[in-house]
Amino acid sequence: MNKPTLAVSVLALAAAAAIWAVPAKADDVTIGAIEILTGPNARYGVAIKNGFDLALGEVNKAGVLGGKKLVIQYEDSAGNKDQAVNGARKLIGLAKVPLLLGPTISNEMFAVGPVANQQKVPIVGTSTTAAGITAIGSYVFRTSLPESDVIPVTLKAAQAKFGIKKVAVMYANDDAFSKSGYDVFKATLDKLGIQILTTETFGSKDSDFSAQLTKIKSLNPDAIVVSALVEPASGILLGARAIGIDPKVRFIGGNGFNSPKLGDIAGEAADGTLVGSPWFIAKDDAANTKFVTDYRAKYKEDPDQFAAQAYDTLHIVADAINKAGAADSEKIKTALQATKSTGVMGPFSFTADRDPADTSGVVVIEMKGGKFQILK
Amino acid sequence: MSAALDNFFFSYQSLIFAVGINGLLALSIYTVLAVGQLSLGQAAFMGLGAYVSALLTLHLNWPFPAVLLAAMVVPALAALLIGGPTLKLTGVYLALATIALGEILRIVCNASDFTGGALGLSGIPSKTSFTLIFSLLALVLLGFVLVARSRLGRAMEAMREDEVAAGVMGVNLPAMKMGALVVSAMLAGLAGALNAHANSFIGPNDYSFDQAVTILSFALLGGIGSPFGPVLGAIILTLLPEFLTALHDFKLVVNGFIIVVAVLFMPRGLLVWRIGRIG
Repeated sequence: MNKPTLAVSVLALAAAAAIWAVPAKADDVTIGAIEILTGPNARYGVAIKNGFDLALGEVNKAGVLGGKKLVIQYEDSAGNKDQAVNGARKLIGLAKVPLLLGPTISNEMFAVGPVANQQKVPIVGTSTTAAGITAIGSYVFRTSLPESDVIPVTLKAAQAKFGIKKVAVMYANDDAFSKSGYDVFKATLDKLGIQILTTETFGSKDSDFSAQLTKIKSLNPDAIVVSALVEPASGILLGARAIGIDPKVRFIGGNGFNSPKLGDIAGEAADGTLVGSPWFIAKDDAANTKFVTDYRAKYKEDPDQFAAQAYDTLHIVADAINKAGAADSEKIKTALQATKSTGVMGPFSFTADRDPADTSGVVVIEMKGGKFQILK
Repeated sequence: MSAALDNFFFSYQSLIFAVGINGLLALSIYTVLAVGQLSLGQAAFMGLGAYVSALLTLHLNWPFPAVLLAAMVVPALAALLIGGPTLKLTGVYLALATIALGEILRIVCNASDFTGGALGLSGIPSKTSFTLIFSLLALVLLGFVLVARSRLGRAMEAMREDEVAAGVMGVNLPAMKMGALVVSAMLAGLAGALNAHANSFIGPNDYSFDQAVTILSFALLGGIGSPFGPVLGAIILTLLPEFLTALHDFKLVVNGFIIVVAVLFMPRGLLVWRIGRIG
């Protein structure tokens, strides 16, 4: 029974050789991207890839470095940090890319960032919002606003508009994204002098939140602050209205709430929910209108914030390569640091710590009738 | 040539490390399966080793050999502690109890600030090397071959085939089971520590039920006739997804298909030969 195995391994080796053999044309500029393209979280990675590809088409009308074609070589991480590191090592070691984009989620960045940093290859995260990302090293950049920049805008707006004084807080304690968002919520609430009546935790795969919500109901908060991904978030909204929490008690969410899926699942129960977003589809400046129209034409669906962030990032990176004057990691890094541009998310530049410096593009959006609209 | 070789090693370093580390994990589950037990707690022991080693390195800056030793001792103690009550269970009940062990560890890690909660521990310095991982694997493999050729190996085989008969023949069943669990916990802890110091980041979800099943599948694919079987299974299952990357979305389908075919047509695993005996 050993023959089939042998045949399979020969086939596999042949397949592997075929990948190695794909040559990049000498006068192309190839950069690498590591995103989740398969598996349960593929929708984030695919949106990001769409955003990159849309911008890539625009960049390649003129080309970079005086007419050279910019090429993105993708590696699929499937949401697994080991595969993400594998992808990064191959892109740096075999494809010799001068710059990396991605990876999709913060946990992957914590594994990939140190590798890129050690090899002095700049890496630009477009969707990694957790604390401590850019602290990995001086070659790690990100264009996504960390939660610590978005959440204060949301809470300030809620405090100013609705006079919120006491809140209940809920978060999923088994998920890095939700925990990191909670830390920011707590720090900001303390800073704004809003009283926290209780802090309730749950698991990100839970579907019944009645114990936590019943307790919260008895405490009569002005609003309920939740840090969770969209699935449990929708469950909480539905559960809250089911046990009769007053619809006037608003929910305030982190970036996990910022998904059209929230309205699809929770429907009217989601009405009044407030979220801060670095980008919103209905922002009506010229750059954004063009982006949304082009995206719809190319992919037959609406873009989300991940696509928008990726779109801006590719333009930023292409500019940096042009300013650097060569596909050289060190020069690109210096050029990136000096970035000053305006994209669909608003004005953009990097802080000295390589985080986005400008939060003026953040909008607070409100759920009404199952759809988000800008809070007025 | 040497530059090309360096380049190859750099590009495939994490894959090569993973082969060695998964080899150790495969031997860890083999130890338990070899005496006829089924444990799904291997991922928990691995996580325990990974967390203990990472915390010792990050907070106390212990030398790496001492860290590795601690990463073996702590899971061994945990195995001794839980071995008493759980080893009275057999078959599917033991598997269930060991799944619970993994879940408890995950929940504790998530709830505790000391372990970084859901954010895990990042910035773990890279201290493992190719030589270290593979000499440890070779050493452990050699140990298993020597055991398999000895009286102890025959007692283990007898237990695996028929526990009652082995007991009647004078094999000390409780001691053998406990010994196997402790050794397997030490190996899993060692693999966890090596993994943590190769990856710079660990989180509670790395050691979940999925990981326990992956470890078990190494042994099932390779076969447990000899210690080489599980190691071969680990090598194949670690490298297979990499060789199949060209298939993109069909990768997981083909990967699963190959495993199903292998298990259907080779129910005793790929390597069925036993180690020859002495004495």
